Amino acid sequence: MNVISAIKAYIVKMTSESEPGMKILLMDKETTSVISMVYGQSEIQQKEVFLLERIDSPNFANSTGLRYLKCLVFVRPTQQNITALCNELRNPKYGAYYIYFSNIIAKADIKILAEHDEHEVVKEVQELYMDYLAVNPHLFSIGLSTCFLNLNWNPSALQRTVQGIISVLLSLKKCPVIRYQANSNVCKDLGTRIDEIISKESSLFAFSQSNNSLLLILDRRDDPITPLLNQWTYQAMVHELLTINNNRVNLSDINGIPKELSEVVLSVEQDTFYAKNIFMNYGEIGTNIKELMDQFQAKAKSHQKIESIADMKSFVESYPQFKKLSGNVTKHVTVVGELNTMVNKFNLLDMSEVEQELASQNNDHYSHLQSVKKLLNNEKIRDIDATKLVMLYALRYQNHNNNDLTGLIDLLKRRGITARFLKNIVNIIEYAGSHARQSDLFNVENAVKITKRFIKGLSGVDNVYTQHKPLLHETLEDLVKGRLRDHLYPYLGGHGSGRQQDIIVFIVGGATYEESLTVHSINRNNPNFNILLGGTTVHNSASFLQEVDQATKNVPRKHTRTIRNIQFD
Amino acid sequence: MAEANLIQEGFLCPICHKDLRSANNLITHFQDIHSEEKDILSSIKDIYGKVKKKILTVDDQDLEHFKNEISLQKEKYYLEYSEPQDPGPTISHTEYFKSIRRDRLDHKTAETNKLIIRLDRLLRVFAADRKQHEQELVAWLDGSTVTRCPSCASSFNITRRQHHCRLCGSIMCTSCSYFLPYEMAQTIVTPVNNGSCKEQQTSKESDSLRICYHCLDMLESRRRVQIEQVLQPIICQLYSHLQKMKSQVQGAVDMYYKIYNSLKSGETTYLLQDLQSLRNSIADKAQMIDTISKKIASVPVDPETPKAAILQNSIRKATSSFIKEELITLPPPPTPQDLEKIKNERLAKVTDDDIPISNISIKKVMVTTGWSPANVTNEATVTEEADPLLEQMNIVRSYIKQARDAQRFEEVGSLQENLNMLKEMYKKQLVKDKNT
Repeated sequence: MNVISAIKAYIVKMTSESEPGMKILLMDKETTSVISMVYGQSEIQQKEVFLLERIDSPNFANSTGLRYLKCLVFVRPTQQNITALCNELRNPKYGAYYIYFSNIIAKADIKILAEHDEHEVVKEVQELYMDYLAVNPHLFSIGLSTCFLNLNWNPSALQRTVQGIISVLLSLKKCPVIRYQANSNVCKDLGTRIDEIISKESSLFAFSQSNNSLLLILDRRDDPITPLLNQWTYQAMVHELLTINNNRVNLSDINGIPKELSEVVLSVEQDTFYAKNIFMNYGEIGTNIKELMDQFQAKAKSHQKIESIADMKSFVESYPQFKKLSGNVTKHVTVVGELNTMVNKFNLLDMSEVEQELASQNNDHYSHLQSVKKLLNNEKIRDIDATKLVMLYALRYQNHNNNDLTGLIDLLKRRGITARFLKNIVNIIEYAGSHARQSDLFNVENAVKITKRFIKGLSGVDNVYTQHKPLLHETLEDLVKGRLRDHLYPYLGGHGSGRQQDIIVFIVGGATYEESLTVHSINRNNPNFNILLGGTTVHNSASFLQEVDQATKNVPRKHTRTIRNIQFD
Repeated sequence: MAEANLIQEGFLCPICHKDLRSANNLITHFQDIHSEEKDILSSIKDIYGKVKKKILTVDDQDLEHFKNEISLQKEKYYLEYSEPQDPGPTISHTEYFKSIRRDRLDHKTAETNKLIIRLDRLLRVFAADRKQHEQELVAWLDGSTVTRCPSCASSFNITRRQHHCRLCGSIMCTSCSYFLPYEMAQTIVTPVNNGSCKEQQTSKESDSLRICYHCLDMLESRRRVQIEQVLQPIICQLYSHLQKMKSQVQGAVDMYYKIYNSLKSGETTYLLQDLQSLRNSIADKAQMIDTISKKIASVPVDPETPKAAILQNSIRKATSSFIKEELITLPPPPTPQDLEKIKNERLAKVTDDDIPISNISIKKVMVTTGWSPANVTNEATVTEEADPLLEQMNIVRSYIKQARDAQRFEEVGSLQENLNMLKEMYKKQLVKDKNT
């Protein structure tokens, strides 16, 4: 189960089915992202696709065409796209059209299209299933930055998520049984809708190995901690501090950045250094970057002494690769350098230590409170980080007798933190306070677990900054061992049993890169299982807080009335 | 409580204080033996909480030391290259699409053809009473009940009069009519008309036909299709030439790697000069591909179509990156010294099983000495014309030479294989003969 390979295979099929000739690829906003996640421009050019065009760009209808081009159309089956295509077919700009829809399309829409193809330019109409973003081989995203409205599904987001997951299942040829988090209505709704489509399109889902896969639907609200923490593995760290958007990192805000580095692409498919280091921690990346630099310098040196014709020849021969390497070195050095600056400037190491203590160490309220207070008085800490720290405290000690949230909020106020950040503290409790969770997120009470974690501590935890393991880790371990409780994660329709080896985990409300690492490590340690992670989006703390904000907008305060020193207007 | 003060080191089980020597042993030991002992555990949890904290706060150097001590290889996680896989299912709607389109288009084609035939006939009308003739050819719609123009919905009156489309006979107002010039009409019907009425063109008194937009649309789209069928811009020819060259060079590159690897592993199927000549021909082709792509990039662009410029540049860019990545990076051929070394190494490993050509005469003798009555029926001709196997081997050798001169390395490879098989057979036969 590899979503990147699945998407690539479809693209190869799509580009090779049309007859040879110069081609243009016509896409919409979302399908552009789907393709750009796995294919670079130079790669797609080798498939004879020399131009890219957006069907939803405002001047598409008026632009001129080139009749000698073949047009590959890859769009989502939406009403706007059908209408735009109809107009296009009525006055075709290109010589021939090969139309591919990214998901299941209604017969009626095909009929409408056919009726508009008066010039007989359409050669092929197909549906294939790539209606999702393949981030890592085992991680996909639907690309919805927010999906909640009043703490429930935003209907259009639900629709889009159902379509996305259906296309994931089809592209991987899976017809799974469905389990969902029992206390979450959004999970149940999503599961039910997916189940309906699977039974409606039963002919599509008639795969031979059908009953050996599982779709497990979870709710982000069961683990609000993971997206709040600072991260120390490369991919997660870049996302947390610099934000990865469709494999692209915007560096234009950095002072004195050269123009060609204002946006860099971090793709596991095209960048082997990145693929190798994606799960390495901050310290290891430093070493690896140094190695990369040395390697590069050695090469550069050998290029400096060109004395004979043979030297020159070998230089010309290795120059393209050299140039590629140099681009790569500059990119990663810039990125890591920027991470380094931020870590030092904002005291992120100290921050992270306290965060990790709060998230995963023993119940020691007093010392935790003191560490938090100490950091809140630190000038270097960013306001947003200070707020996040208080949020962690608020979540952890929500029901603690000596809870001093009021005091911490006063401290924040003294720092002059904006009302928007303060509101976030209330919002996150409303969104994912203990009332919304079914799992014991801070499972410090359970003695067996403690001792086990202690022993694991010896073997697994290598530094204080990566102690935290997301809740997903425990859920998946249980699942793999066949111990996941039926009443907490029931089967849809109440039936179902057995142990499935292909597992697709979907988190409503967004997954994180830390969880991606968890899934990857469980896959490695359990070769019999094959786990794929998905989410409505891939969150960092900033995007997560935005989603929380959106989800709790206009929701009356039910669980935070005791927090008196934050008032909503 | 002397025991309590005793400091123990190592991988101690937290419950029975046994030293397990390694962390893995400790984990398995713990899981096997103590997994049920919850009560004891809860009583000692505080101690271990503290110990854990202590371990976590020791400074880095100690930690490093500690890690080395327990010699646990921390797992390294990284992503492997994603293997290509078969695409998931697809559903083709092409048949359904075409069936619906056919129904509609059949109707439209018929309509268009009808219009063309009518137009052709109308053009042949030269009588004085044109209107009547026109009405004979095309039945005009009865306008007595039509009060509004069907296309713009303005009501007809004295100033806005009814007009008829000369092609379909429908009714419209002046502003909704289009006037098709005779010259244009002539060109539209020319393929049908065979230009027989060219001389009559000048004799027209009115120079256009009144038709409706609907008919105009049909005529125009037909004309456009016809024009495009003939039109083949220069860039297309250049591009198809480019693609042809590319696929040729791709084949040569694949062959190059095959020969290269074969030489590198010390096989004698191909010669070093094969590799060199192939390399030269690849370089020549690369040059040509480069030239063609430059030509494509410099094809003049109509300012109306800015896309063409982007397209041409993008083709040029793709081609040069193709040359850079596929052609320039070919590994250089090994030097004769290298090759000699590889060969010697291989020879040292495997005792020679090739039969030198000079052996032929000796073998002839051996064949005759190995003569026996039992063989007569099978190999009656052997003695007269030498061994057919040997003869065949010589033929194959000459083929290989020819193929090599023609740079048909694919053939060289398969012929060489044949030759080896023949040699093998010949050797077996020799052994058999000796034994008998």
